Amino acid sequence: MNILETQNLTHIFPDDTIGIHDINLRFQAGEFTILSGTNGSGKTVLVKHFNGLLTPSGGRVLFEGKPITANLKYTRSSIGLVFQDSNNQIVGQTVAEDVAFGPENLGLSPTEVKRRVQKALTAVDLSHLANQRPYVLSGGQKRKLAIAGVLAMEPKIIIFDEPFTGLDYPGVRQVLQQILELHHNNHTIILITHELEKVLGHAHRIIVMDRGKVVMDGSPGKVIAGIENYGLKKPHGNVETMTWLQ
Amino acid sequence: MAKTSPLNLRMTVYSSLFTALIIIGGYLSFPIPMNPVPVVLSDFFVLLAGLLLGASWGFTSVAMFIFLGALGLPVFAGGKAGLAVIVGPTGGFLFGFLAAAAVIGWIAGKGKISVLKDLVASFIAGVIVIYSFGVIGIMLVLKTTLLKALAIGVLPFLPGAVIKVIAAVILAQVLRPLLQPQFKSNANSNDSNDNQ
Amino acid sequence: MAAINIFHYLPGNSVIHRIDTRIKLVCMIMLSITTSLMGRVWDYLFLTIILLLFFWLSGMPVPRLLKELKYFHLLILMIIGIQAFSLPPAPGAFIPIPGFTLAGLKSGLLLGWRLVVIVIICLLFTGTTQISSLRRAVEWFLHFIPGLPAARIGTMFSLTFVIIPLIFDRAAEISDAQKARCVSGRKNPWQRISFMVFPLLRRTFEQADEMAMAMESRCYSEVYRKTAMKTSGYDWMALGFTALVCGFLFLL
Repeated sequence: MNILETQNLTHIFPDDTIGIHDINLRFQAGEFTILSGTNGSGKTVLVKHFNGLLTPSGGRVLFEGKPITANLKYTRSSIGLVFQDSNNQIVGQTVAEDVAFGPENLGLSPTEVKRRVQKALTAVDLSHLANQRPYVLSGGQKRKLAIAGVLAMEPKIIIFDEPFTGLDYPGVRQVLQQILELHHNNHTIILITHELEKVLGHAHRIIVMDRGKVVMDGSPGKVIAGIENYGLKKPHGNVETMTWLQ
Repeated sequence: MAKTSPLNLRMTVYSSLFTALIIIGGYLSFPIPMNPVPVVLSDFFVLLAGLLLGASWGFTSVAMFIFLGALGLPVFAGGKAGLAVIVGPTGGFLFGFLAAAAVIGWIAGKGKISVLKDLVASFIAGVIVIYSFGVIGIMLVLKTTLLKALAIGVLPFLPGAVIKVIAAVILAQVLRPLLQPQFKSNANSNDSNDNQ
Repeated sequence: MAAINIFHYLPGNSVIHRIDTRIKLVCMIMLSITTSLMGRVWDYLFLTIILLLFFWLSGMPVPRLLKELKYFHLLILMIIGIQAFSLPPAPGAFIPIPGFTLAGLKSGLLLGWRLVVIVIICLLFTGTTQISSLRRAVEWFLHFIPGLPAARIGTMFSLTFVIIPLIFDRAAEISDAQKARCVSGRKNPWQRISFMVFPLLRRTFEQADEMAMAMESRCYSEVYRKTAMKTSGYDWMALGFTALVCGFLFLL
């Protein structure tokens, strides 16, 4: 069964510009998908719909076969969204408090919240900073904290919106390593990026968007050939092994 | 209290944003030519909060600001904190801020929005309300005469206050459209969120 | 970022740090009220000695206190100055400065001293209390008041302190970028305010929208959550001692 599906999903902004138009996509559980396209092609708008953060102008989104609006709380705890700017996602006074934000909202017991916080912080290797204030963290650590905040809700799908932006080489490697580990632990991964050379070797599938529409969809090997038509840089080298991790 | 619409969440975040701006405004100072006292921007953000968020959310922002200060956090102008400031000679201005945000939101948000109404509201709130409270505070705490209170608490700040009123009104015109939701969000209602 | 020190907290494990935040908050309020009601030199002296003892117990470095008082020195000097000249002169006493009175100076000094005492009380409280635990304590007190959205106030409390460093960093960035383009050459003050504030607010409004969405995506809810806070006999002892000090000042 498709874990996530969109049917004729359309989003038109109040000023009549088109955000996304007639998107029909299906995602299988366990898939690693890259969502790519130039700035303003509608990637972020699309994934905000996956999380029920926007109301479609037309069409709908199904999670596990049911419309996401049927149970938004369940949808949002099952589909984690790691925002582009971690600064916007961090709301706690301490690292641990921020990770606890989601589970507490779900109404879990204090012991369960604590267990999840510890588990999530261990997973991203930030346990030693649990009592630090978030704003003293480095860019890479902040992004890992944002990931931990999403992990603590124990989602099935994790969506990353431009997770490499503004990170240095070690930062990119840390975050990439993290994403791969999550994928190995049976999370479905949707990753928005236009920096294909950093990650393409790990993906099963790449979707390219242009001006609000899906223009290419398939395995990296197939898609990569025509990618330059849509304003993306064609990376050099072997698609199968293309990664910033050794 | 149990359930909140996303619209409310958005206003909660904006209200906190203005609390933060009012605090930061106390750390930012601008020199004014031919004037001995530099101008801080706290009251400027109080005016903007009233204009952009409306009476109740604007009031909430200022109330939060004073509450945090009362708890001893260094949020008042120049990093001061605590009851020392609230009961001190400048404490009247803080209560003036509180009244100003409500007054400006109330006048400017009533009926149709217009630049002229913004200007009148900002002038009443930003000059008359804030400084009346300020003068009363000075007179009560320092036990001085009205004239002395005016001389130390109002006169040096008046040119700055007028500039801030005008700047707040101009900025409010440019910033209002930004407060309209960029996306059609899952909120139950989306209409007029800047003057409820 | 170092230019703004919103976080007074100094990590530690002193006897003052360990007091339950709710009790500490009550102690602070009791002491502050007592301070604003007392009026004799001996009261001030007694309380100052007690507070300095607390300060020593908290393990906070003395320079911290001096730095804190530095913020207030202008205000204190102003109070003393204005008071010294604001009382009617006593008949017969000759003082060479017109308007100056000894009684005025004395009352100014006491007012200034009161300010210093309140500053010390605040520093003792905020220096030994984490913002997150202060937030929880505040939420705890507020949730007893019917009709007050304690959880939302708690959220706003936290958000404010999350947003401050973000805005401050951005403001510093914009200000530097404008200095680099010689903004100081402009004489028109409201233009300068606009140049600063408009880009700052445009960006932070966008950020606030994203923040609201990110909170929504993590299932933001406003249900008050009981947090595990326990008081021990030790906390009640601290409260008792504070009450004793305040009572002593009132009765004597």
